[in-house]
Amino acid sequence: MKQSIKLLLSRDDMTHQRGYWVITNALRDAGIEVVLGGIQTPSAIVETAIQEDVDIIGYRIMQGSPKVLVPLLIEKMKAREIDDIPVMVGGIIPTKDEELIRELGVKEVIHPYTPLNSIVETINKICGMPSEQAEE
Amino acid sequence: MYKKEFLDKLSKATQKYEEEVNQILDELPGAEKERITSSGIPVKPLYTPLDVKDMDYFKDLSFPGEHPFTRGVYPGGYRSRKTNIRQITGLGTAEETNERWKWLISQGVTALAVIGVQPWGYDADDERAIGFTGKDEIVCDSLYDYETLFDGIDIGKFSVHLIAGSAFTLANYFAMAEKKGIPLKELKGSMSNTLKPSKQCLDIIEFCMKNVPNFNAGYLDVRNTREGGCTAAQEVGWGMAMTKTVVDVLVARGIDVDDFASRITWFVNSGPDFFEEIAKFRCIRRMWSRMFRDDYGAKNPRTLQARMHCQTYAPQMTRAQPFNNMIRSAYYGLAAILGGVQSMHINSFDEPFATPTELSASLSVKTQQIINFETGITSVVDPLGGSYYVESLTDQLEEKAQEIIDDIESKGGSFKAFESMRNQLRKEAIQLQDSIDSGKMVIVGTNEFVDDVDIQLKALEILQNSADFEAIKEYDPAIRDKQIARLEKVRKERDNDKLEKAMKRLSDALNADDENMMPATIEAVKCYMTQGEYARVVAGANKQITKTDEEEFLG
Repeated sequence: MKQSIKLLLSRDDMTHQRGYWVITNALRDAGIEVVLGGIQTPSAIVETAIQEDVDIIGYRIMQGSPKVLVPLLIEKMKAREIDDIPVMVGGIIPTKDEELIRELGVKEVIHPYTPLNSIVETINKICGMPSEQAEE
Repeated sequence: MYKKEFLDKLSKATQKYEEEVNQILDELPGAEKERITSSGIPVKPLYTPLDVKDMDYFKDLSFPGEHPFTRGVYPGGYRSRKTNIRQITGLGTAEETNERWKWLISQGVTALAVIGVQPWGYDADDERAIGFTGKDEIVCDSLYDYETLFDGIDIGKFSVHLIAGSAFTLANYFAMAEKKGIPLKELKGSMSNTLKPSKQCLDIIEFCMKNVPNFNAGYLDVRNTREGGCTAAQEVGWGMAMTKTVVDVLVARGIDVDDFASRITWFVNSGPDFFEEIAKFRCIRRMWSRMFRDDYGAKNPRTLQARMHCQTYAPQMTRAQPFNNMIRSAYYGLAAILGGVQSMHINSFDEPFATPTELSASLSVKTQQIINFETGITSVVDPLGGSYYVESLTDQLEEKAQEIIDDIESKGGSFKAFESMRNQLRKEAIQLQDSIDSGKMVIVGTNEFVDDVDIQLKALEILQNSADFEAIKEYDPAIRDKQIARLEKVRKERDNDKLEKAMKRLSDALNADDENMMPATIEAVKCYMTQGEYARVVAGANKQITKTDEEEFLG
């Protein structure tokens, strides 16, 4: 029996969080173990990722600046030697920020209205899981 | 309202019509067989007097400006006063926001609103501020920032809405007004002081009741709950239930309902379901007036008036075909004005990309101006009143909202039922997403009518790259450095001894058994206490002053 994927889902700030919860629900339905980081700074994300030994990090950015927060996250991941953990970023990501963060190694950028099953597919692909996993 | 003979004849004729039309729709491929509103109300192809046969004009509608206010808060409607064009503004430091405000005023905004004045709990030089300072909101660390923000702005003339629920924010606003020589009695405005049983919330309401009579210090934020996925009926029902709970707490404190309930603003949404939204605004007014008059015995006619600030629905502002958003926002805005709201912010088309630019903010202003000055709809109060459809929807929404209120009351009120409301909200959001992903709910350009090549997006990007004005706002991280310099100036130039004493006084005020926290907060902010310093004083108090967003944000 294959191990399920463990994903840390964090977000940058309070207030609007509908997508955060809808995605949590969809990922859990697909058998992905979601660790709810809640509102976390890049430092806190790194600590939780290590503590929970996650396979992948999902970072929702809406209020903050992706071109500032993501490099900060990656820098802190490098410092703690966990920069091999893939990172997905979602939320309100301006086009230029998206280009920059992809160049830095972010595996996928999820914009609003990305169908939920395709987000699951993407996670499975990134984590090297066969797509049958999504149907279980 | 109608004679029995007439209703019998109509009933037979309607039945005949419904059979005919159902048969036609059943047989026609692609015909819409079913339509249900967000609140689960089934919508028929046609409405007739049968649907409003029990309506009592004087009891259920009456006149605008009279209980139950279904038709409008003021007798003259928009003939007396058009909606406040109140575009939310907040970018960079106080300097940039001040500039934008002045520009927006030149474009025709008639009221102001600022975002970013809710304290973060730390100053801009804190590590946690990296990536956030001045990005989608203003950064205000101390009175110096408020002075800059309002420099050259006539706060005696403009109503100002502060998007914050903090005494720190309000104290700064009042201190700034005092320095400008404007007495508190003359200030018009409101703040996002969402109703909750926290010392801070209630102290703010009480202080304003006594000292700032034209400032609406209570807020019902159901708009953000709707953004979170709830239905129109929940927007109304949860709003009413939350009001009830706070009113009960205040009445138990010995406060007269008429003293504070007249100073609560509804913050409502306006979204895609056009007629349901119109019915919703009418339903809110009717339920509010009935509750305060019949359940609480309010005497002040102003207490019975549910005044609404509206911000249009953001989740359907799409990245794909972004100019569609202008059209969406226009329709949402139209529904709000047909529904009789007092003030409105129309979301800019570039919501999914960045904070509004001058271009997109201007278009939002123009949208309201076109509705207000070109369409003619503002010349008649409650123009859709009497529509069999709209009246029926208003009634049905009220029924559904009442069920929701009763359910929450049975659970002990909205504070006790909070978790269950939040769980319900999450469920609605999931269902909503299902209907989008399945294509059942059409979003033009996103899940239907999609372009292979999105020329709107291309046009926007070309504009961004080639225009000599800002087409999409880009965040400049150097804003944080600018703010840190402002912060350091404040710390250097203020009288730190005076500040120490004022902060000690504030601490004593917070720890006292029954002292309103506003006066001491105002004195402390006058000494240029920063938000980080304020947060430390509050954290050191012997009681809980505020509730965290996690504890009380329903969204």
